[in-house]
Amino acid sequence: MKEDLLGAGKKLLAVFAHPDDETFICGGTLAKYAAAGAEITLISATRGEMGRRMGNPPYLNRETIASAREQELREACRHLGVAHLHFLDIRDKTVEFIEEAELTARIEKYIREIEPDAVLTFHEQWGGHPDHCAIGRATRIAYEQSGCQSGLYYISYGNMMAAPERYGYTRKDVVKIDISEQFRAKLAAFRAHRCQSELDAWVWLPDAEAIAQFGKHEYFVRHQA
Amino acid sequence: MNSFDRQQVENELRKFVGGKVFVHSEATSYVFVRNFRMNLKEARVAGGERGSFRVAFRFDEQGWLRMEGLTHYEVDSEGHLLLAGYDDHGRMDVALHLGREAFPE
Repeated sequence: MKEDLLGAGKKLLAVFAHPDDETFICGGTLAKYAAAGAEITLISATRGEMGRRMGNPPYLNRETIASAREQELREACRHLGVAHLHFLDIRDKTVEFIEEAELTARIEKYIREIEPDAVLTFHEQWGGHPDHCAIGRATRIAYEQSGCQSGLYYISYGNMMAAPERYGYTRKDVVKIDISEQFRAKLAAFRAHRCQSELDAWVWLPDAEAIAQFGKHEYFVRHQA
Repeated sequence: MNSFDRQQVENELRKFVGGKVFVHSEATSYVFVRNFRMNLKEARVAGGERGSFRVAFRFDEQGWLRMEGLTHYEVDSEGHLLLAGYDDHGRMDVALHLGREAFPE
């Protein structure tokens, strides 16, 4: 497995579906590259405004959650070192119903403007939530249409890609990033997403105990053209 | 959000009865309808024995909208009546919102 996805490049573009995807799934990697001087842009398709979690005890409702989650994401970005944040202003849970050509064109425009050295998104098959798969597919098509060849990588959950064969990949396709120096930044970003993470008691344990829950690595799969 | 107070909610619902309203309605994991427009003919509240309430609307000529599991309410700064049902961990199960103008898309 490779252990780097940016090489000598400096610009990283991440295209995800909801606030917290960047933190919960690959926050350590974003923090690591930001600390090394990378300029990171995050695009969030939605504001996660249809989520069930409203804080614990609840302090949000369906009409207040969008702005709360936007603010939480901005704070998480500060902890991770994400420099630029853009929203596509799509309503949560509706990404797969947006006209694909329109969505793809919007993402392609960002890729052409930013000229990233690596692009991160969800795998269109293994992304889990329908919004994840839809934004991953649109980003993959946008990447291909843009002519960008620097590298498209799919984020993955936990250790699922430690054994990639079951998903049709080999170890050569996988990048394994050691995030052990970024645990504190990742934990701070988790806590920034308060309305989502408050339900998970471990996040709010003393730092050392909370950090002990993190895996040492985050895994990415390189898109095969 | 405040704990569901039947009297208060009935008072607030009464303000919308007889007019055109925009509704946001959802059973969170399964379905949502945003900015459904209806002529609200009647609004009724029932339940409360087990800590949650049921609300039903009769709308237009033959329409029904019924929801259960409501535990909280609020009138926000825009004059929307927000009803919601949360579980013991703060997760929202259901929501039923009324407004005279459309909710943000």
